Amino acid sequence: MTTTATAPAIEATGLSRRFGDVQAVDGVDLRIAKGAVFGLLGPDGAGKSTLIRMLATVLGPDDGDARVAGHSVRRASEKVTPLIGYMSQQFSLYPDLTVAENIDFFAKLRGVPKDVRRTRMMKLLEGMGLAEFVDRQAGKLSGGMKQKLFLASTLMHEPDVLLLDEPTTGVDPVSRREFWRILAGLHRQGTTVLVATPYMDEAERCTEVAFLESGRIRHQGSPAQIKALVPGRLFEVTADDPRAALAALQASVDRPSLPGLLSVHLYGDVLRVLLETDDPASVHAALQAAGIGAEVRPAAVDMETAFAFLAELGTAA
Amino acid sequence: MRSLSRIGAVTAKEFIHLLRDRRTLAVVLALPVLQMLLFAYAISFDVKNVATVVIDLDKTPASQAYVSSYESSDFFTVVGTGDDLAAVDGVFDHNQALIAVVVPSGFGRSLAAGEKGSVAVYLDGSEPTAARVGQAFSTALNQVYSQQVTIRWADAQGLDVTAAGQLEPRVRTWYNPEKRSSDYLIPGLMVVIIMVVAVQQTAVSLVREREQGTDEQLAISPMRRWEMMLGKVAPWTLLAFLELAVVTAVGMWFFDLPLRGSIGVLALGAALFVFCSLGLGLVISAVAPSLETANMLGLLLSILPAFILSGFAFPLSSIPGWLQVVSCLFPARFMVTITRGVFLKGAGLAELWPEIAALGAYAVVVIAVAIVLTRRRR
Repeated sequence: MTTTATAPAIEATGLSRRFGDVQAVDGVDLRIAKGAVFGLLGPDGAGKSTLIRMLATVLGPDDGDARVAGHSVRRASEKVTPLIGYMSQQFSLYPDLTVAENIDFFAKLRGVPKDVRRTRMMKLLEGMGLAEFVDRQAGKLSGGMKQKLFLASTLMHEPDVLLLDEPTTGVDPVSRREFWRILAGLHRQGTTVLVATPYMDEAERCTEVAFLESGRIRHQGSPAQIKALVPGRLFEVTADDPRAALAALQASVDRPSLPGLLSVHLYGDVLRVLLETDDPASVHAALQAAGIGAEVRPAAVDMETAFAFLAELGTAA
Repeated sequence: MRSLSRIGAVTAKEFIHLLRDRRTLAVVLALPVLQMLLFAYAISFDVKNVATVVIDLDKTPASQAYVSSYESSDFFTVVGTGDDLAAVDGVFDHNQALIAVVVPSGFGRSLAAGEKGSVAVYLDGSEPTAARVGQAFSTALNQVYSQQVTIRWADAQGLDVTAAGQLEPRVRTWYNPEKRSSDYLIPGLMVVIIMVVAVQQTAVSLVREREQGTDEQLAISPMRRWEMMLGKVAPWTLLAFLELAVVTAVGMWFFDLPLRGSIGVLALGAALFVFCSLGLGLVISAVAPSLETANMLGLLLSILPAFILSGFAFPLSSIPGWLQVVSCLFPARFMVTITRGVFLKGAGLAELWPEIAALGAYAVVVIAVAIVLTRRRR
């Protein structure tokens, strides 16, 4: 990706917004290169939606500013909006209008010429497998189809920057994959995509991610860079009694009996243990001492583990 | 050009909403006519068939003729007769009648002598409205009757009949109360009905966009707020205008409402008034936090001022000064003056231009306020 010399697609400086007593977004600095698929991660209430809504100019910042597609959201929002497409978290089309009527209405508002509208709509809908539902009312579509329709509607004016607020939340896995296939296509065409998601497997598909917590960006980088931030070595432990094993290991954190144990988490029936050393012998020993039979093997850090550990290390620091 | 196409897009979209929502459409189309019929019959200042008891103590041809004038009248229904005054108490106590007419003995003799015959009319004061109206009618009946007697007497004496009294105008005033009441009511009533429907429809409009989240998609389109407001108001203006025409037709056919003035002025006033009411709905929509609140506010701010502050129920001159000022915040008072003027007085632009101008100014101001209020919400 050649991003040097060109201006970034999104550049936020000190962007802040408060709701009553809650500082939803707290001085966010963000630089998103043109053509990136940028994942905005973080727990519910971290400020993802507020940040995206400010970038989409539907919400005014209290402080700071952002340039989106080259224009200030504060001073020139009318120049930003023609260049962006924004999908809010809530499905925001008219449920009583058909697929075609919805797309046509918003495209007409955005000044897409009449002769272009029909062909572009059919091309988009065919690409998304929605062509046969042109005349169905939007409210009668499935969750996944609704999101694809919403995306199609935001693509009608061919925006340079796409702002997507949890577009796949509540969507079945097959439709999620389908949705990301479409995003990958847009990425190839050079569209910049900012996508908020609670799904870590989706984060893996981004060119860059940022982890937002309490309105601030805690970590930012490519998925590989984020994973590299995790110190030590990761091991997976399968035990006869995972809960007892978790208790035993948690009791040993920061104890001389188990030196170098950084963190331990339970994922389903599997324990993920982060060690400073490459040798898991001390874990074996600790579990045997507790009378728990277990198998320990090295594992690769994925995004989910990375953020769990980073969040924990961040709060411990 | 761009503006026009965007306004057109919103208008077309609103029409689709309307056509898809069959229930609302049915309500919007049928309700005004229903309300019109219901209200026009229910809210009536007319009193008919007041239960009456007659006690004829004279029993002469003259007294019997007088008593029969009650029987032949629509306003009194003679439910019984009695032989002495004591019967009145019993009749009132048992709620059998509201009025008792007592013709004393000597009535016939007085009339024959060319004197004034006196008659006693007793009213049950516990039902003041009916009693008061009954009293008025009874007085009227007496007047007419005695004038008939006078005329007959004058004829016999070879005098000029027209000089004997102003019979004609009195008869018209008193004997046509039905017509007078509905003529007076219906022009005001159509204003109330149209206002309630119009305010209600737009009151929910912006709130719904907010609840659906579509307002954000609208906000990031190049469409300006005034374009959206116009686009939203346009289809309803047309619809409400149609309704007004239907209600007018119902008024003219069912209630013999005369249309004496200029239809053009009525149409102009109606278009402006409908636009103003829709604008008032948009203002409500801009401030209401939820659909329920919008509905309640819409109802409250349309029905109350339309009934009380428009001159429909009470003359505006009879309400306190500060309320008269408040009444200017609602378009109904101007429109009631216009409908009554056009229908009843045969007024045209020459007489009604102040009201037309007031509605025009109101339309501009109310849309501006709606725009400012929606902008403030961000």
